[in-house]
Formats: sequence, C-alpha cells, structure tokens
Amino acid sequence: MAEYIHQLIQHSPQPGAREAASRRRVDALFTERYRAMAVRYDRMFMWLLLAQWAASIVFALFFSPLAWAGRDSVLHSHVVAAVVVGFAITSLPVFMVIVYPGAQSTRYVTASAQVLWSALFIHLSGGRIETHFHVFASLGILAFYRDPKVFIPATILVAGDHFARGLYWPESVYGIANPEWWRFLEHAFWVVFADVFLVYNCVRSYRELREYCEQQVALEDATEAAAREATARIEKLAAIGQLAASVGHELRNPLAAIRNAHAFIGRRLAKEGELEPKVAQFMGLITRELDASTKIIGSLLDFARPQEAIRNPCPLRPLVSEAIGLVPPREGVTVINAIPEDLPIPDLDRDQFRQIFVNLIQNACEAVPAASNGRVTVSAQLSGQGALRVAVRDNGCGLSPDELSKIFQPLFSTKVKGTGLGLAIVASIVERHGGTIRVESTRGEGTVIEIDIPIVAASKAA
Amino acid sequence: MIVVAHPTAPGTRILLVDDEESLRLTLAANLELEGFEVVEAASAEEALSMIDAQRFDLVLSDVRMPGVGGIELLRTLQKSRPDLPVVLMTAFTTEDSITRAIESGVFTVLHKPFDPYRQAATLRRAVRRPTVLVVDDCQKSAQAIAVALSERGIRAEAVSEGAQAIDAVRSRDVDVCVTDLVMPDMDGLEVCRELRALDPAISIIVCAATRAADRDDDALMQGAAALEDARYLRKPINEVELVRAIASVRSEVC
Repeated sequence: MAEYIHQLIQHSPQPGAREAASRRRVDALFTERYRAMAVRYDRMFMWLLLAQWAASIVFALFFSPLAWAGRDSVLHSHVVAAVVVGFAITSLPVFMVIVYPGAQSTRYVTASAQVLWSALFIHLSGGRIETHFHVFASLGILAFYRDPKVFIPATILVAGDHFARGLYWPESVYGIANPEWWRFLEHAFWVVFADVFLVYNCVRSYRELREYCEQQVALEDATEAAAREATARIEKLAAIGQLAASVGHELRNPLAAIRNAHAFIGRRLAKEGELEPKVAQFMGLITRELDASTKIIGSLLDFARPQEAIRNPCPLRPLVSEAIGLVPPREGVTVINAIPEDLPIPDLDRDQFRQIFVNLIQNACEAVPAASNGRVTVSAQLSGQGALRVAVRDNGCGLSPDELSKIFQPLFSTKVKGTGLGLAIVASIVERHGGTIRVESTRGEGTVIEIDIPIVAASKAA
Repeated sequence: MIVVAHPTAPGTRILLVDDEESLRLTLAANLELEGFEVVEAASAEEALSMIDAQRFDLVLSDVRMPGVGGIELLRTLQKSRPDLPVVLMTAFTTEDSITRAIESGVFTVLHKPFDPYRQAATLRRAVRRPTVLVVDDCQKSAQAIAVALSERGIRAEAVSEGAQAIDAVRSRDVDVCVTDLVMPDMDGLEVCRELRALDPAISIIVCAATRAADRDDDALMQGAAALEDARYLRKPINEVELVRAIASVRSEVC
C-alpha cells in the first residue's frame, strides 16, 4: 500500500529543466531541417556547376570566336580556358558537396564558384551584355540557401572581378577597350541592389524556419503533456481501484462479523421485552450504518472490478419495482414506475441493471430539495432499430453546465457525502451492454438521464 | 411434498467452516437462534475429520481459508459424500473460483455480509436436498438437461407433460422449475401458474426461444413477467448459465 501512495504523489520533473530540453529540441530540429535543405541545394549547385562547365566548353568551341570581332580569335585558348579554368572553378565545390554536403563552407564555396562561372561566361562571350545577366540569376539562385552570408563571398568576387578585369583586361568584361574607370561601380551597385532584397528575404526565411521549428516543438510538447496527464490519471485511477478492491474485500469479513453479532444481540434483546428507546434507536442505527458501509464497499468494488455483463431476457417493469424497493424513501419524493407493461423484453444483466436503477433513482431522489414536491419518474419506450430508451426524470435542483460535463467522471460528486462513483459505474455498465447514456438538465428545474440499449445482445457469449 | 418455509426441523445439524473466528462465532450463534445445531470447524481439514465422526445435514463453508480452501473441500465432499449438501460463502464475489464452484454444482454461494436470518431459509432449503424439475414437451431435451445437471451434482428430474409436472411437485421435493415456455401440447405459462399456486416458494426459470424464431414467445414472456421473480434464459440453453441461474435463485430470499 505504501508503494501505491508513493506512486500517487510522485512529482513530475522541474519545469525549468523541461524548458531547456525544449530549446535544445528546437535547435536540433532547426539544424536538421536547415541542413536537409542545404544539402538539397548543394546538390543542385553541383549539377548546375557541372552543366555550366559542359556548356562553357560547347560555347567555347562554337561561339567564342564569333564574339571576338576584330581580333584574331584563338579558338584553342578559349576552349583551353573553358576546360582548365572551368575545372579549377568547379572541382573544389563538387568535391565539397560530395564530401561535406550541407556544411556552411560548402555553400560559400559553391556560391563563389557560381559567380566565378559568371565571370568566365562573361569572358568567353567577350563581355556581352546579356551574359552579365547570369550574375543576377546566380544571386537569385543563391538566395535558395536562405543564408544571407553566402552573398558575402559572391558579392566580393563579382565586384573584385569586375574591378580587376576592368583595370587589366576590359574587353573581357565590358566588351570594349576603354570603359570609364567607375564602370565596375555601376555593376557593383546593381549587384548590391539585388543583394539588399535577397539578403532581406533570406533573413526572413531563416527566421520563419526557426519559428516553424519552435511551433512544432511547442505542439509536440503540448500533445505529450496532455498524453502524460491522461496516462497519469489512468494510472492513478487504476492504483486507487486496486487499493479499493483489496480494501473492500478485506472489509467484508469484519462487516459480516459485526452484522452477525448485531443480529444476535437484536434477537436476544427482543426477547427481553420493551427496549429502552435509545437502545432500540441505536440498534436501528447500527443496521443502517452497516448497510451504508456495505453499499460503499459494493460501489468501490463495482468500480474497481467491473464484471462482464451476462445478458438474459429481463422484464424492466418488475426490475424497476425491485429497485425502487431498495432505495430508502425520502420525504416528499414520490417515485413512479412508468414502464409500460407491454414493453419488449430486453436482454440484460439483471443484477447490473438493478444496480443502475438503484443508483439513478437514488440520485434523483437526493436531487430534490428537502420538503418539496418531488417526482421521480422511470419510463421506457422503444426507440427504433431494436433499441430501448430508458429515462429517469426528476424535478429536483438540476445541474449546472460545468457539473454536467463532469458528471460521469469517477470520484466527481455534487453531493457532500458519497463516493462519487455511482454514475461512473452506471456509465460503465451501460457501455458493457453496448448502450449509450446521456444527461440533460436545467438548473432549478430538473434532470433527465436517458439510456439507450440494444434489445438483443449483439452476440451471445458461449 | 409442499414444504413450509419455517421452522427448522429439530436436530438439523450444520457444520460451519471458517477460519475467521469472529465471523464463525457470531454466525453460529445466529444460526442456533434459528433452531439449527451448529458445530464449528476452523479449517477444512478439521471439518473433514469431523464429518467422519458425526452425521451432518449441511456444510456451510468459507471459500478463502489457509491450507485447504472451500472449493477443494467441496470437491472432496462431492466425491466422498455426494448426498451431503454444501453451501459456500465468500467476501470475494468476483473470483473465478466462485464461478468454478457454482459450475461444480455447489448448492449456492452466499455473499458476505449476508443476513443470517434471511439466509437461514436458504440453508433449510439446502438441507432438504430438493430437486430441480425440468419441463419440456420434448422428452429428449428435458432428459438431456436433467442428466447434465445430475452430472454436476445437482438433483434433477425431467418431465414432458404438465400433469407430470404438477404431480412431481406434489409428491417430491422440488424447489426449482426449469420450464420451456412455448410447448405445443401445453401452455408453459399455465404450468408455471399452477406450480406457483401449489408452492409459492418454488423458483421458476423460464426458457425462451431465440428472439428471431418466435414472436409469440415475446407475448408469452410478457405474461410470464407477471410471474414474480421468474428468471429468463434464452434457448439453446447454455448449461453453465443454467447452473448459475439455479445457484442464484437458490440464495434469493423473498
């Protein structure tokens, strides 16, 4: 028993520790997602770079000579440039993508390589305007990485390349021999212009990805917390149930002995003639309290060890009469058995359903405030499709919406006394019969509990 | 023969077996006030040795006892003294062992705590060693059920006509009547009414056909509902359920 109680009051881990763990999970999730994305684009760039290399060789073979109007084209050198320089540009990033996919340095290398390809294409096309567009296209594609830092090497290389070639080999980059000295600045300006927007977008995307990860983790945490709570509650109830069953069984022997002793004393005293009033009163009191104790134990055991329903035909009207007889009468309350005589006979577990009626009728009687005109009616009717609807209605104090939502929960009670198990047991029995239970109530006016059960058991147990 | 509910025949001796002393003492005292002679035993082993030494009319035993338990005692007695009725009592009502005891043909199982004065009637009933009367117009079915019950240690007799049933109740000690409801040659309901008129204490278990088969059955069952405290079982009769129902009605007190 000490073990149970210890388990019941066990604390959950400190909240601070849990928050730190959540943050670590957010980081882990973010890193994983980001890396997956980076790997994807690294691979894309790898193929792009290789394709550009192939394209550059083709271009060098077929087009470069034509762009160099007015100058002896040395076919050989452009193709060499394409092959050799292309290899130089492409080899390292391809290597990095294969060996270190997703790494930060890999993307800086691919970014650099991509803009160097722009430079090479511009050179191979003799500074053709349209080829410069490749720079801006590349910048846009680099934004896929959502890492604003990739633009640093890219921009520096573009600017540096334009400046250097502008100084020493202007035909290669501008297509004319004498560009203005500040021409590279104009190119650089447009690159920076594009950069600003792309960097802004990258930063936003980066942050959004992080927010998404945080939301994911928060959602997981909430679900996990809810599941943990539910499990804890179930375990707690199970532990209580086991405790209750064990205690309940153990209590029955002592109760039986007390009852027997009391019965004997009662018989012997009866032979003595007129009893002193208090003696008679207390003898009656002992009987009542013994009955109450027996009922409480019965409730605990019914709840903790539900029994399978053994269903046999059982006429409802006599059963309800029997149940009414078992409920102690309450002053001012009339209980009416309004079950029609010709109601079809359902298959039920007789003992269990008697328990249902006793619980419901008792609840209904107790709902009526003292010394008022209380009416409790038990009725039943066919509800189509081989089912019966049984209703227990009272004109008592009713339930609030908050109470209504909790009323079938075990250990919940609107009464000061009582185990709070009565309705949970009723609901459990109804469920075992394949039925449903519903309650409607208006505060101050009354309550009705409706039970729908199939008339015939779904399958007959062997 | 028609049996009057009270009082206890003088000299009816009960062997009360329970390891819980306070329970045993108080129960014995109450039963003695009811006119029984009670001999106490604190264990099944003690009980068995006493049975060899004296004549008893009934054994009333707890189920959970250290050493040999009530179920084992029941089984031993069924083999060595099949004519000695056994009633078990227990606080642990949901145990499988109880089910097994019932299925082994114990007269009935009393659930602690019980009212010793009301259950005195049950004990008197057990002492009579009454018969279960099986009524079915199909002789074979009635016989099969009666045989099945006898094999479990429950006295049973089969009849296939209403007149035979009335006769059996008049001449032999019948406490439970298991009857089919829809029989072409006689009205099961009518038979029940007549039996009840003869002996109001007789318990009635009614067997109804499967719902799909007979719509008239329902109407008859409504009528049977007027029979107080009748139990219902569906055909085909499940033997175990029948035995359970018999044990259950036998501890029912009006």
